[in-house]
Amino acid sequence: MDEIPLSSKSEAGLDPIIQLRKLEIGYNKSLVSNINVDIYPGDRIAIIGPSGVGKTTLLRTIAGLIAPVSGEIANSYTARGQIGYIPQKLGLVRHSSAKNNILLGARTRKSRFYPPFLRIGETLNKEVDLLIDKLGIANISNEPVRILSGGQQRRVAIARALIQKPKVVIADEFLGELDVANIESIIDILLTQLENIGATLVMVEHQEDIARSIATRIWRIDGNSITEELVP
Amino acid sequence: MNKKLLASIIIVILLTLLAINDVIGNWSDIDGGFENLYIFFTEDLFPPDWSILEAEPNLECSSDIGFFCSQAWKGISETIQMAFISTVIGFIIALPIASLAANNLYPLPVAMVARVILAGLRSLPSIIWALIFTIAIGFGPLSGVLAMTLYTIGYLGKLQYEGIEGIANEPLEASMAMGLTRSERFVFVVIPESSNNLISQLLFMFEYNVRHGTVLGLVGAGGIGKYIDTNLKFFIYDKAMAFLIVIFVVVVIIDILSMIIRSYVTDESDFKRPKWWTVLLPSDAAMKLHQRNGHQD
Repeated sequence: MDEIPLSSKSEAGLDPIIQLRKLEIGYNKSLVSNINVDIYPGDRIAIIGPSGVGKTTLLRTIAGLIAPVSGEIANSYTARGQIGYIPQKLGLVRHSSAKNNILLGARTRKSRFYPPFLRIGETLNKEVDLLIDKLGIANISNEPVRILSGGQQRRVAIARALIQKPKVVIADEFLGELDVANIESIIDILLTQLENIGATLVMVEHQEDIARSIATRIWRIDGNSITEELVP
Repeated sequence: MNKKLLASIIIVILLTLLAINDVIGNWSDIDGGFENLYIFFTEDLFPPDWSILEAEPNLECSSDIGFFCSQAWKGISETIQMAFISTVIGFIIALPIASLAANNLYPLPVAMVARVILAGLRSLPSIIWALIFTIAIGFGPLSGVLAMTLYTIGYLGKLQYEGIEGIANEPLEASMAMGLTRSERFVFVVIPESSNNLISQLLFMFEYNVRHGTVLGLVGAGGIGKYIDTNLKFFIYDKAMAFLIVIFVVVVIIDILSMIIRSYVTDESDFKRPKWWTVLLPSDAAMKLHQRNGHQD
């Protein structure tokens, strides 16, 4: 993507929260190069493309989990808890309860010097309970994650990310192998909550129709390059 | 069979035979060995002298039950206490060192330093540590406890960091992306994710320390070993044999208890096992009972 696309947000004077400049991503060899793009607050971006082209690698690079091969990422979310990350396998602590997993997200709202042995406090705890209620997982909140269904686990992962009140939610094919009813309900919850906290979504989704139903911008990776399409 | 595999097996067998030949030196030394062993077993060791289970007049004891004033009870209970203290203290000290040694939590240089410390503690068996402590602080169970604690730190620490390195990467990655600190990751991700392993290793280490605690008495570091040592020195083999049987029974009991406890800390424990007596019921009735107890399959 050579040209930095002019979106209505840049024209409106909004500052981008993430700027990717001449970015080249990959592990040992380059997968995608020359990525130049700005991400604005409230954007919902879906990365699509065939398997193995570097969708997850781009996501992990934006999340700061792997270093780019070259180029730079300028972002305004370096503070703790400003990235809500939902990996493909959800990354939940299987032996902890659903609520404890969500509390893990809530801890990021405390200072990094907040000792692990202290509870997070009553106000934040109530907020967690409220979100658990909204996501319809109150009845299983004390169950260990390993015994929950795929749909319930996804709700827990979403709750963990949203309770952080992050600036960016990064999600990697988080809808997995869910049935249509579950997909619709989870998308509905996610979009409502994202809007409430004003967070940006950057996601990888292999089903294009689902990607279009969520995203405002689609990035298509094909070969070594990336193209963008705005979704009306 | 693959030729390379066959050649490797032949080489290993040859090396073993050569080593045996080297170690034994003179084969005529073992002439009559089995007969001597038979005589030793039938005449010296058996029948064991079970007086060790009776109250020992020379022991200070306030219990009215004779067995609790016996040498066997005093010895084995001291060994179990030593093993318990060493395992718990060793576990508490080993865990933070193991977290530093796990290279999915800390960078390689930090991990290497922690690994060298653990390897150093592990390189001496507990009986050598016990020897060192008996020289330093004198005879008694405290030397045994210190010896086993040091060995526990080294051994358990290694098992722990290997367990920590084996946990799934996704929860760690997610917590890194979220910005959780290392200590938060350790407490809220690593410990719950490796809890089954940690508990299993803790029980294994306790069993191990009970078994090894029995020999520490041979160097004066307390426990049941001191009674075995005394009896061996005075050629009272039938009593020594009774002590060995007591150790065997206790180790088997601890092993079974530990197996039962470990079965509850595996993922499979989510499936509640039917009670053993349900095998006596017809299969339909057993299934209905199982389902009535809330287990829908």
